[in-house]
Amino acid sequence: MEVLLPEMILVVSVVLAILVPNIGDAKFRIPLTRVRVPIFVGGTRLKGTSDPRLPALISITAFSLAMFFSFFGVSADSSAVEIGGVLAVNSFSRMMSFVFYAALLLAAVAANYRLPARPSARAPRERDSAAQAERLVRSLMDNRRQVDFHILLMMVGLGMSLMAMASNLFFMFVAIELASLASYILVAFHKEEAVGGEAGAKYFIVGSVASATGIYGMSLVYLWAGDLDFDALAASWAAMDGYDPLAVIGLGLMLVAFGFKVSAAPFHLAAPDAYAGASSPVAGVLATASKAMGFVALLRVLLHVAMPDEGEAIWFVLLALIAIVTMTWGNLAALTSENPKRMLAYSSVAHAGYMLAALAAVGSGLGDDSTTRLVLVAIIFHLSVLVLFKLGAFLVLGLLEIEGRSHRLEDLHGLAHRDPLVAGSMFIFMLSLAGVPPLAGFLSKLLMINGIINISAGTGSTSADAIVPWAESVDPVFWLAVAIVLNSALSLFYYLRIALVMFFETPESTKPLRRATHLRNSIVTLAFLTLAFGIGSGADFLLELVQNAVSAF
Amino acid sequence: MITADPLTFITLAPIALGMALLILPQVLPTSMAEYMQRIARPLSMGLALAIFAITTMLFLGQIGAIDWLNILQGEYVFQNTPVVLLEEIGVRWVVGVDALSFPMVWLTAMLIPVSMLVEWDAKKGHIFHPLILIMEGALVGVFVALDLFVFFVFWEMTLIPMFLLILVWGGDNRRYASMKFFIYTFTASVFMLIGILVMYFNTADTSLAGTLTGHHFDLISMTAQAAGSGLIDGAGLRHFVWILLLIGFATKMPSVPVHTWLPDAHVEAPTAGSMLLAGVMLKMGAYGFLRVAVTIFPESTVVFTPLLLLLGMSSLVYAAIVCMGQTNLKRMVAYSSVSHMGLIFLGIATMQPLGIAGALFMMFAHGIISPLLFAVAGAFKHHYHTLEIGSMRGIAHHSPWLAGHMMFGWMASLGLPLLAGFVAEITVLIAFWMTFGWLVILPALTLIITAVYYITSMQRTIFEGGDPHVGVLPDSLHGEEARDITWHENAGMFVLVALTVLFGILPFIFWDMMSDWSTEFMLETLIDALNSQGVKP
Repeated sequence: MEVLLPEMILVVSVVLAILVPNIGDAKFRIPLTRVRVPIFVGGTRLKGTSDPRLPALISITAFSLAMFFSFFGVSADSSAVEIGGVLAVNSFSRMMSFVFYAALLLAAVAANYRLPARPSARAPRERDSAAQAERLVRSLMDNRRQVDFHILLMMVGLGMSLMAMASNLFFMFVAIELASLASYILVAFHKEEAVGGEAGAKYFIVGSVASATGIYGMSLVYLWAGDLDFDALAASWAAMDGYDPLAVIGLGLMLVAFGFKVSAAPFHLAAPDAYAGASSPVAGVLATASKAMGFVALLRVLLHVAMPDEGEAIWFVLLALIAIVTMTWGNLAALTSENPKRMLAYSSVAHAGYMLAALAAVGSGLGDDSTTRLVLVAIIFHLSVLVLFKLGAFLVLGLLEIEGRSHRLEDLHGLAHRDPLVAGSMFIFMLSLAGVPPLAGFLSKLLMINGIINISAGTGSTSADAIVPWAESVDPVFWLAVAIVLNSALSLFYYLRIALVMFFETPESTKPLRRATHLRNSIVTLAFLTLAFGIGSGADFLLELVQNAVSAF
Repeated sequence: MITADPLTFITLAPIALGMALLILPQVLPTSMAEYMQRIARPLSMGLALAIFAITTMLFLGQIGAIDWLNILQGEYVFQNTPVVLLEEIGVRWVVGVDALSFPMVWLTAMLIPVSMLVEWDAKKGHIFHPLILIMEGALVGVFVALDLFVFFVFWEMTLIPMFLLILVWGGDNRRYASMKFFIYTFTASVFMLIGILVMYFNTADTSLAGTLTGHHFDLISMTAQAAGSGLIDGAGLRHFVWILLLIGFATKMPSVPVHTWLPDAHVEAPTAGSMLLAGVMLKMGAYGFLRVAVTIFPESTVVFTPLLLLLGMSSLVYAAIVCMGQTNLKRMVAYSSVSHMGLIFLGIATMQPLGIAGALFMMFAHGIISPLLFAVAGAFKHHYHTLEIGSMRGIAHHSPWLAGHMMFGWMASLGLPLLAGFVAEITVLIAFWMTFGWLVILPALTLIITAVYYITSMQRTIFEGGDPHVGVLPDSLHGEEARDITWHENAGMFVLVALTVLFGILPFIFWDMMSDWSTEFMLETLIDALNSQGVKP
């Protein structure tokens, strides 16, 4: 069981988070006697257990421990451990759970400020003014909701981590649903704000339709293969004579479900609303961990199951088209967004497009094992470093959100005057998202473009002695690299706009930012890591981890 | 450290100090932060001067005792022991210089303290000067890096301090200008990145290769491979890659038709920013073009000579004509830079050792003269609050030093004999005549246009007052007294003036090594390509 230690920690923590806040001095009187037996649950809560900060403490500790132990799973080169025929714990799944836990840990830290817990909060009295009473009620509400929020966050972590280990399609689906259902609630968590409820409802409806489509696809696949184990499915796929319509339709329907998770066009339409309505830390989790989860599912289904030994995969053309549409749509929509959260949401859509393009290049079947590995490393590396700079950007918005701002571009105005360090970090995040060297975002984008070029550039005719005949002879996959490059250029406009308003515009209020020590430290640390994982030994270290993980995929 | 590996030191030390000066005041307690901010400016200047001293000592032979002549093609001096940066994809920290890059390194090391001096009183100096220092590290890095990944990293890194310099210290329209500058050059360089990656994918030397990809970014090995069996199979792909590289380099240079970011960036940039932009950043384009595109794909260069000729000629002529219509001083100087950069393409297109050496000297001479012009224009803006050429007359009376430097700079830029610009222009034109014959009339006539716009604006600003003793002061002064330039501006300009004269009279200080490099380059790299394409050299 020790291989599942991080997950066990989470399960225990969920239980603790339910139990501990309820511990009190309740006693049970044995009937007909005077003997009172202390049962501890209920009654007047003890001083320590009634502290509203307790759930946050539990979840932060749990995520830190889980992250710590997952990390050892990545670096240990022990072979995979199979559990019950549905879970395979290896360095790949440990790498992914490490990424998930890191993102959730940051979200938990940030949520402390978004959803502040105040031990001193008391019930409003008669003589309090209306405004004061409302404030007191709100902080009491926040205190009460702490535990719900953190339990849901841990559920998300549990679901995602189990998902990364799943070696069975059905189990994977269940794990994804565990994570998704919890995240639907998290999106709608701030239900007293109009946008929160709307976002949650939209995200839930679209998400459940996507899930339903996916599970229908899975049932078709089950009908076809009579098995849901990935290895068995891969064997059936390889042995298939021609294309069985059941298998192909099933695959297509599953693509819809996972396409929604990675917010690929045209299934991304709910994403911007969800991100804009959710609180920033939750939106950050959706854009990083949730997206990584979707990609792991896609990799499992497309590369593990539906990838022929040689030749073009059936999904290649479709995925390439989706990739191009996704990145272009995302970037164009981000250009016109005035809400920084929506902008980041669309930028996340665009990033999904880049990764899908790299995945599509593998599907062309032109590469060999080593190029496939290269692309896989690129995608996993990108998903890992996204936690640094995408989540970092959301955390900066979260910092502004404490003051109730972050829904308009104007809220970022003059951030450099109010807090130069946070503005500098945001600038680094934006440059990294745009792919400017020497930041981590550049390295990951370079690896993806490199993978595509590695696969395709050799396909052009060597006898062509001018550009046009060569361009006609090269495999169309090559143009995916050009599409990524053109889109990167396009994306600069909106990333730089953020930098511009931070440095250039006069702030609406000149007061320094609200104090949020841990959040601010996390942001600065993330900015530093974005730099450190871009070049040099830091990047080398992470690449080695990822490579280690990919070899177990 | 400094004597063992001077190039690494002069690249990384300014970046490290600059970052430290920017970040530390934010995290230290207030009293120490204030102290840091106070010493930021002298500390930056001190390091910049130290680096200038080191580079000069490298040149004079006090460190390393290098004979700058007779460096063989593909060999570099002051090379370090390579350090692996990214083992998985084959990135190594390799630095070295040869006669192509060293003058540029020296130029950068010289210009940084001068530009700091000129803007000694910049607002928020505790941020301004460290940013310039970071800029220095990035610029030197571009010239010394011998690993294409590192080269590209530095190439893009130059954008960030410059973007901030324009954005924070720029003129009224700085927002538009900084965005345009960043997006233009970034877009062009990502095209270049595709080209670099295609080259990367074709490298064969497995001893340097990354463990994951099996290829490497090492430029020396790529050059050797290109000279041996050729880096890329298939002329079509080679040409395509060459064009991708050209897009990146020509935009930086910049050449017509991708030059439009330059006038905007220059007009809005602070003085030190435009000095570095014109002095060094534009040279990155020409340097990279020679170092990567021409060296590795000489055949494609020969095939596309007509294109180079077209680009060079149109930059030269078009920008010169545009100059005549400018009323904004900085805009005029910016377009004249585009025009002079055209001469570099023409020099390369001649495929003569003399022409290439002329192009190299053009890079160097323009790197001294154009910062002077921008320093003058900046001082003009600073003291007269306007850049309109017609708005005032007879500044020679009010600001004799400013007028003197302005006149000297313009004379140098239009190619007055005995000044540095003349040497470059005349050699390029001679080589052009040797190759293309009477076609030389076109570039030669353009020099007349250059003289026309410089002399008319000289007449209209410096001299020709309504009243010889008063002149006409611009409205933007609002009746204030017109002042002359400050001591630090004057000192910075004097350094540039002195160097312009020095390299005009004694061009061989750098000319010898440049011409040596060009001859070697011709013999080793271009001559085979010319023969194989059936062009008679």
